Amino acid sequence: MPRLGQGRYSSSAEVEQTTFRPQLTSLIDVMTFLLVFLIKSFSVQGDVITPSANLELPISRSSRPPRPATSIEITKDNVMAEGRILSKLSDMDKADSMLIPNVYKWLVGLHGNTFDTVKQHEVLIQADREIEYSGLKRVMYSCNKAGFVDFTILAIQKE
Amino acid sequence: MSLPSFVKNKPPSEAASEIELDLTPLMSMFLILLPFLVSMAVLTHLTILEFSLPPNVGRGTTGQSTDKPKLKLTLVITPGYCLVTHGEQMMDSLPLVDEKYDFDRIRGILIRHKQELNLDNELVVASRDHVRLKNIVALMDCCKSAGFEKIGLSSATENPGEGR
Repeated sequence: MPRLGQGRYSSSAEVEQTTFRPQLTSLIDVMTFLLVFLIKSFSVQGDVITPSANLELPISRSSRPPRPATSIEITKDNVMAEGRILSKLSDMDKADSMLIPNVYKWLVGLHGNTFDTVKQHEVLIQADREIEYSGLKRVMYSCNKAGFVDFTILAIQKE
Repeated sequence: MSLPSFVKNKPPSEAASEIELDLTPLMSMFLILLPFLVSMAVLTHLTILEFSLPPNVGRGTTGQSTDKPKLKLTLVITPGYCLVTHGEQMMDSLPLVDEKYDFDRIRGILIRHKQELNLDNELVVASRDHVRLKNIVALMDCCKSAGFEKIGLSSATENPGEGR
């Protein structure tokens, strides 16, 4: 014979379980804040340029948005373009000439296609913030020899 | 005799406490919107800094122009100090403060020279080999904020006397 007390306890626990309602107010508050923050940082335009993952770009106060241009990347170790390594910085330091042959050849290869308008005489340099000017100088020299005289450096905008 | 309505019904404060909002659709909307917005969020904005080679290095190499080159203010950057020169005349020397470039002072000096010499908005930044890009970019920003919109980047000779 079941004890009266036991039955009463189990039924009241069942009643408590069915009426349990989680307190969602704080969760909704957090989600509302998150939603506002994310909508604020949402960009419809998107970026024209996607910087390489292995680059730490310099920080600049400039407010000009990036525009499409011939792009060269200078990482801590290599000079790259279109995902290919054109030269190693360590090799460049040993070389006597300022010219980087592979960069020059690659740019001259583009020459016919990109020199249609004046605007396209521009090279976008994506460089690591810690590289020294000597590496940048050689890239700029090679670009100049291939006919590119205007440059832009990609940077992270300082808020 | 019927009771008045305010006796039969509960007071408004008690009635309000019993209203249960169905938050499920709101939570569902949040759960869909949040991952979408997180994936699309742009936390860093990219920008570009424009510069060119100085006229005697870049476009001017063809030798077409016979005009005397115009003197430009030059900011020479070395790992230990900065110099401001105009032609061959040294205007200012600015050592590092706590191993950092004194950007505010450099900006002030550039603005002063721009006004005193009645210069246009062109300036040449000449850097030595071992200067890091982050410092070059920060100093170019400094020049732009001082009103020099057209910046040429060139190399500073290690030993001007030897012409290297």
